[in-house]
Amino acid sequence: MLEGMYTAAAGMAAQQSRLDAVANDLANASTTGYKSVRMAYRDLAYTAGYGPPAHATTNVRFGAGAAATMIGRDGRQGAIQETGNPLDVAIEGPGYLQVRENGQRFLTRDGNLQIDAQGRLATQDGALLDPPVTVPRGTQPDQVSIGTDGTVTVAGKAAGKISLVTVPNPAGLDGGTDNRFQATAASGAVSAAPNTTALHIGVLEASNVDMGDAMADMIDAQRSFQLASKAIQVADQALEIANGIKR
Amino acid sequence: MERGLYIAASGMLAEMARQDQLANDLANASTPGYKADRVSQRSFGDLLLGDTAGGNTVGPLGQGAAIDKEETDLRPQAVRDTGQPLDLAIQGEGWFGVRTAQGVRYTRNGAFTADARGNLVDQLGNQVLGAGNQPVQVTKDGTVDPSKVAVFNVRKPVKQGDSYFTGQAGGTATGQVKAGSLEGSGVDPARAMVDLMASMRAMEAAQRAITTIDSTLQQTATQVGGLNG
Repeated sequence: MLEGMYTAAAGMAAQQSRLDAVANDLANASTTGYKSVRMAYRDLAYTAGYGPPAHATTNVRFGAGAAATMIGRDGRQGAIQETGNPLDVAIEGPGYLQVRENGQRFLTRDGNLQIDAQGRLATQDGALLDPPVTVPRGTQPDQVSIGTDGTVTVAGKAAGKISLVTVPNPAGLDGGTDNRFQATAASGAVSAAPNTTALHIGVLEASNVDMGDAMADMIDAQRSFQLASKAIQVADQALEIANGIKR
Repeated sequence: MERGLYIAASGMLAEMARQDQLANDLANASTPGYKADRVSQRSFGDLLLGDTAGGNTVGPLGQGAAIDKEETDLRPQAVRDTGQPLDLAIQGEGWFGVRTAQGVRYTRNGAFTADARGNLVDQLGNQVLGAGNQPVQVTKDGTVDPSKVAVFNVRKPVKQGDSYFTGQAGGTATGQVKAGSLEGSGVDPARAMVDLMASMRAMEAAQRAITTIDSTLQQTATQVGGLNG
């Protein structure tokens, strides 16, 4: 009998991870370049047998509940939003900007760039583009022009090139903190992005969280959580009834 | 007399087992491709009672209930649109094949993703089978051609957990793979809740039978032999 309680509790835990994922998606509904999380669910192991061991039937098997796994991120393109800022870039198609901080390389789709104190192009949180792009000191953002191939020119002079990279399996990328990802064994090695990937200037890629989907998902998760909790309640009542045999 | 105690207790045990199974259904109320279970009860063989005086038949005596069969409801469920290119659903009959360490398993849970070599894999990282049991390639733009994913016709599928089923594959399945959607769970929450309530009340009734028999026994033990009863 107690198994039933733990079975339902496993279901509640799975719904809880789903709620956590949806809550994070909703919180990032306006984060530039954010990709929503994909969760997958499955049932758990089944054990055969019911009744006293000598007469147990193996026709009946009891499941152990449900589990949730994160299976990467939604790779769909976010909407392109016009900002007019010459240092804003958006990537259309598969690909990432490569940035470097503290000797570590990261991938990001957040193209909200700035010029740091040393004249280097960096993301808003200070990670430098890799390979680095340096503009002459004192350059104002509106003097910089970025071509659709990534070439950065300042007053007609070439200053460097923003290169786009990708990995074979974006679902295997690690991280997500600060909009940054890292290549792992599961994602495969970083290589140049395909030619079909385009860079747009003066625009940003919006978060690809679909509010409607996320809200529906949240309601579904909440109700499923409630259903599983009811099963625990009933199991509790059933135990109470069993205890009531001896008054 | 005490036989009644055990008959009622067997009913309680059967209801408890049914509740365990319903708890699993409810835990999987939103698991894609989950197939709901139904357990059925049977009664133990009846005894025929006869009276000791003339050996005349009095009638049958039941010996209680037991759960002896479980059936999985394999009917295809409604397919829901998710828009994710690697979410696949089979419309109609058929199963996805997945190569696991224990052999080929079948599933209708199509929440797939890609691995480092660009093969289509399931949520546990096992390869999804395409034509000729070869892996299915995910294209560079992160989509998969639904027609490349094999659909198996599986006879006598049996649940193995992790959304997997075992069974004998053979013949061609009629189902069509659809990308960007998932099959819903086969659990009907309303029915599961009603079953749960009914089961609890049945258990309560069996408990009442036990306590009633108990108080009868108590009277037998304390009052029948009493001189001033």
